[in-house]
Amino acid sequence: MTLRKPALAMAAIASLALAGCASNTPSSTGGGDGGQGQAQTLTLGILGEPRSWDPSQAHVGHVLQPYQVAYDSLLLREPDGALSPMLATEWEYNEDNTVLTLDLRTDVTFSDGAKFDAEAAKANFDHFREANGPQMNQLRAVDSVAAVDEDTVELTLSAPDPSLEFYLSQAAGLMGSPAALGTESITTEPVGSGPYVMDKASSVPGSQLVFTAREDYWNKDLQKFSSVTLKTLADITARTNALVSGQVDATILDPKAGKQAEGSGMILESNQVDWTGLLLMDRGGEVVEPLADVRVRQAINYAFDRQTILDQVRLGRGSVTSQMFGPDSGAWVEDLEDRYTYDPEKAKELLAEAGYSSGVTIEVPALPAEEPTLLAVLKQQLSDVGITLNVGAPTTTTFTSDVAAKKYPVIQYNLFQGEPWVAINQLISTQALYNPFKTTTPELQALIDDVQTGGTEAAEKAQAVNEYVTENAWFAPLFRIDQMYYHSPKISVTPQVQQAVPSIYNYAPAK
Amino acid sequence: MTSFILKRLASGIAVLLTVSALTFFLLYFSSGNIARNIVGDQASPEQVAAKEVELGLDQPLIFRYFSWLGSAVQGDLGTSWFTSEPVTQALSSRVPVTMVMVFTAMLIIAIVAALIGVAAAVRRGWIDRLVQVAAVVGDAIPGFVIGILLVTLFAIQLGFFPATSTISPGAGATAWLISLTLPVAALVLNGVTGGAQQIRSAVIKQLERDYVRTLRSRGISESEILFKHVLRSAAPAGLTVLSLQLIGMLGGVVIIESIFALPGLGPLAVLSTTQGDLPVVMGVVIYTVVVVIVVNLVVDLLNGWLNPKVRVS
Repeated sequence: MTLRKPALAMAAIASLALAGCASNTPSSTGGGDGGQGQAQTLTLGILGEPRSWDPSQAHVGHVLQPYQVAYDSLLLREPDGALSPMLATEWEYNEDNTVLTLDLRTDVTFSDGAKFDAEAAKANFDHFREANGPQMNQLRAVDSVAAVDEDTVELTLSAPDPSLEFYLSQAAGLMGSPAALGTESITTEPVGSGPYVMDKASSVPGSQLVFTAREDYWNKDLQKFSSVTLKTLADITARTNALVSGQVDATILDPKAGKQAEGSGMILESNQVDWTGLLLMDRGGEVVEPLADVRVRQAINYAFDRQTILDQVRLGRGSVTSQMFGPDSGAWVEDLEDRYTYDPEKAKELLAEAGYSSGVTIEVPALPAEEPTLLAVLKQQLSDVGITLNVGAPTTTTFTSDVAAKKYPVIQYNLFQGEPWVAINQLISTQALYNPFKTTTPELQALIDDVQTGGTEAAEKAQAVNEYVTENAWFAPLFRIDQMYYHSPKISVTPQVQQAVPSIYNYAPAK
Repeated sequence: MTSFILKRLASGIAVLLTVSALTFFLLYFSSGNIARNIVGDQASPEQVAAKEVELGLDQPLIFRYFSWLGSAVQGDLGTSWFTSEPVTQALSSRVPVTMVMVFTAMLIIAIVAALIGVAAAVRRGWIDRLVQVAAVVGDAIPGFVIGILLVTLFAIQLGFFPATSTISPGAGATAWLISLTLPVAALVLNGVTGGAQQIRSAVIKQLERDYVRTLRSRGISESEILFKHVLRSAAPAGLTVLSLQLIGMLGGVVIIESIFALPGLGPLAVLSTTQGDLPVVMGVVIYTVVVVIVVNLVVDLLNGWLNPKVRVS
């Protein structure tokens, strides 16, 4: 933490210095325009490596990308979120959405020579359900898996899961060689059917991983580079320097570091993935009694001048909002966008009506990974309406378990704006980690059940859930965060909906 | 001399055991629910419990420490909980980077600081004043600021060096040389000023001693006094300063390695500590303690060799 502020200051100085010589920096990329060969390599600056290359241990979000280098998934998620065939050519639900049948390709082999077929897919599903990986819940609804014939696999569900097809484009859909699953060696060296294979001799875990294009890959359209290098650059100064000096072709930065990258000709692909704000989790008033009153929770929402906060904390890079579902999700409701505007007088009135004009005190933990100024601004704006926000000690490794143990009535956090059913299970349902006090009402539960059985209309039905939690002020959303993904002019990059870091298929040599 | 070394080795092992036990137990109290962090925020309590069993976290703490110690004594430091990489392998690929960087920097600091420090003590005048001012300035500017300045100027603007590491398996000496020049320069610039200041003081202290006046009164040349007597007497103080600097540098190198994305021990130490990756943290701690013990032993031996009085006591 001591590093951060001086480092930013230096980055600012550096960016000023760079502005003076910006004209000569991109020249190294100019030469490439003439002869774009298929021999181009792609080097990406990543924040961290997979914990294990066993596909059952795969994660989502920006951590999915490395797996896509070595593994194909059953379905391919297009940049706009639509699902396309990949290892599965067709898929279909039965009438009550409890059996999903997938037709599989028959011309695909794994990098160890094993053949991909229904048995291999079944082996992957079974392994995924047993291996206790971070996304094991993606197949929670799956009761049994059957290889019907060589190219057909059938998933039988205990209850409908509107996210299952989405999951098959994510961690649960990654297919590894059945011979390698669960072995010691696959933890450090992937064995998939994907476009690239790891060059272990050239790789140093924690520093850089080198992959080369597979010669007999079944889909040349997805294999746009001769090799891919993933360079681990946890430090944002290092990532900025590596991008600006041409050592990596693309990486994720923040608004401040992004200015320096833009100054040297790097291109920004921005999209919104996370929202930030307060999670008013103690809606039953177990720890902080006033939070049981919806008027208090609404008062908190009216207390924030969201645009000012956004400008101060993230240089305006984001969009203010009052809802926790994103525009790409289907559950988004335009009218809820400004449901809570900045109205401190109204906030005070609501507190008085609820009988708390003498004040309310709330404790929140400080998260070192978050923008430190954010909590300070929130504290100040809440104090203007008579709410005291006490910022507790920073937590790191104990955060999730503390949340689960109901240690915090309220937290400030950045949360993924994903698919509605995913978000409901993460934040709203009684099983959700971020609903540790397990608050619910029969009305809300009925709305959630509607989503679960909604089939193709599930996302739309989630709008009612959105309206319920926004109206009842379960959260105090502030803004959706612009992800600042930068790349050099040598390559083209298409942002991926709901992902901070694009899928590997979205990169191509620049035309 | 042999008994001296044996005694130091025995105390070194005692230190190693104490530090390893302390680290192990402190990590236990500060690391929270590791299993939950590994299986993710959407895992069920059953998943968390299964992961705890897999990692042996359900065993009593004392038992876990001794089972770790038992394996460690046989050279097995376990496997990282977060990267699946064997800890000895993770260390063996990173230790050379840090060692080459630290010892190159140390060697340069020792030579340059000694030259400047002795010159300042003997000549006094403007060199002396410069050394004193530089010591204050050098102390005030952290190494990572120098590192960022160097990378901005020499890597990004001038393009003489890569901004981040190009060291990879099988990389030739050139890759090491160009990757380590800027980080080593950052460490050296930060270390030289303080070192020179300390050596200057040690030499001046000797020059003011009675034996120097006696030697001078006997007509022995100034250069003979300096090289044969003064430096030999001032050396232990200088060595101690340098050894402290080296140990301090193990801390500074963490940030330098992060800025230059060097695959050294620093980023590994930081990441594994924040994640609570106990096997890796233990590996890094053991390695660092061994380095500190060895450096101290070597300094003591050098002092004994330079100054017989130390040996007797």
